[in-house]
Amino acid sequence: MSIQILHKGIADSIQDIGRYGFQHLGIQPNGCMDIFSALLANTILQNDIKAPVIELHFPSSEIKFLEETIICITGGNFIPVINEKSVELNTPILVQKNEVLSMLQPMKGKTAYIAIKSDYQEAKWLNSNAYSGNRFEKDQIISFSKYLPNTSEMAQTLVSMLNPTLIKKVQDLVFMDAPIRILPGPAWQDLANNAITKLISEPFSIKSQSNRMGFQLVGPSLALNIPNNYLSSAVTRGTLQLLPSGELIVLMADHQTIGGYANLGQIILVDLPRFAQMKPGQPFKFVLTNLETAQTLYREMYASFKY
Amino acid sequence: MKIKIQEWSVYSVGDHALVFALEAKMDITILQKLKQLNEFINAKKINGILDIITSYHTLTVVYDMIHFLSDHNEASNQLLIFSTALLNEFEKNSLVQKKETILYNVPVCYDPLFALDLEKISEAKNISTQEIIKIHCSIIYDVYSIGFLPGFTYMGMVNEKIQIARHQKPRAQVAAGSVGIAGLQTGIYPINCPGGWQIIGKTPWRIFDANPNKLAKFKVGDQVQFFSISKKEFDDLNEYK
Repeated sequence: MSIQILHKGIADSIQDIGRYGFQHLGIQPNGCMDIFSALLANTILQNDIKAPVIELHFPSSEIKFLEETIICITGGNFIPVINEKSVELNTPILVQKNEVLSMLQPMKGKTAYIAIKSDYQEAKWLNSNAYSGNRFEKDQIISFSKYLPNTSEMAQTLVSMLNPTLIKKVQDLVFMDAPIRILPGPAWQDLANNAITKLISEPFSIKSQSNRMGFQLVGPSLALNIPNNYLSSAVTRGTLQLLPSGELIVLMADHQTIGGYANLGQIILVDLPRFAQMKPGQPFKFVLTNLETAQTLYREMYASFKY
Repeated sequence: MKIKIQEWSVYSVGDHALVFALEAKMDITILQKLKQLNEFINAKKINGILDIITSYHTLTVVYDMIHFLSDHNEASNQLLIFSTALLNEFEKNSLVQKKETILYNVPVCYDPLFALDLEKISEAKNISTQEIIKIHCSIIYDVYSIGFLPGFTYMGMVNEKIQIARHQKPRAQVAAGSVGIAGLQTGIYPINCPGGWQIIGKTPWRIFDANPNKLAKFKVGDQVQFFSISKKEFDDLNEYK
């Protein structure tokens, strides 16, 4: 099964659950920005957990399917149309050979996912199909694992297996209008007193020039009690770094492996997909939570996918 | 979760990483202890550990919340039990073996063509460029960290006579192989990328290769000593051709 990129979007790529085991060499984990929507798409198609998905931003790539297949679109709603006919999110869609998928308008969210019904897919590099700098190019042809016969029969089976409870649960979590939950980090204690109050009471928003490496925030300027002079140590997905300018940056899927700025804290993993779906300029607040809550929520959400 | 166990501080960073930290300074005995702990944890092949990243005075264990922890006990308690048992066992066994350190002799061409900041450092420090090169090559550096970018090599410590702060504003493009200094550190850029270090030369060696059998040339704990080569020798050895 292959697709062809007729027009390339601003930042579209192939992603998956990411790559671990190589960060000690400086190799980034990469992977989906909104992992829950991506897992939902693969669950709906009964794909393997490691199956690659197409991650789209808006304006999105226009994609031609070179063979008949089954897809599922999840995450942000960009008003998807196939050959100009509107199609639904969160359900298996039977696509005919040479049909073209386009996205019309960013109604909701910032990142959409397309899973393609597939069998086992070999990882392209170091156990993953996700890597930095794999942005789509115009006319590029991308292959997925082998073409499945009996697609229409399979599509019907998949529709009958749909789990509306799971779909609602993912949607509710990823698009919930609530503060973003954080855990304090090693440099939290170095924050000036008024900075802690500002961080957890004043609104922030995401800058428009943010990308898959990190989201820069607009908000109150924060200061440290001590000079910003830390030895570089490992950072992870969701780390809140304070720049010397007083601005915050949140590390996302393509994050660097180590960092030397003040590590103020971390957006909890269960809230990171929701954070990734927030549009630039949309105001939000941070709220403190604890490790137990963070882990219980994540484990509970992950368990609903049955992977 | 934050505890002290002997000289160690152990604390959670976010909801899926655990840090083992020693005193916050660039010190080879600290690095060696962390490296031993890193090997100790690696050898145990613990289910659910995704990455172990040693950098200067910290060792970070990134874990998968699903497989590393269970539902039976509070997360903080589990992490506390895990780290206490691990460090106790480690402290009992750590004295046993010391692995040999690998020393790499790395060629660097300090030609003005590559050494973009050498002349300015010479003026600022009132030391000849020849003397700076001699000082830079006189020290056996320890690799304290690999990261930020794939293969970026952080080494120390630079002789105080040639220590200089990084540029206020990073260069838009630093060439792969460029050798820079910044404060106590010297480093090698693995790819063409923006960078703020003071560039004093370039190695013809490719220090990161996407080939899965090669990847990063150096690892934390390795030693590096630079030696000066001519432009002609650089061209002969150039792995970026």
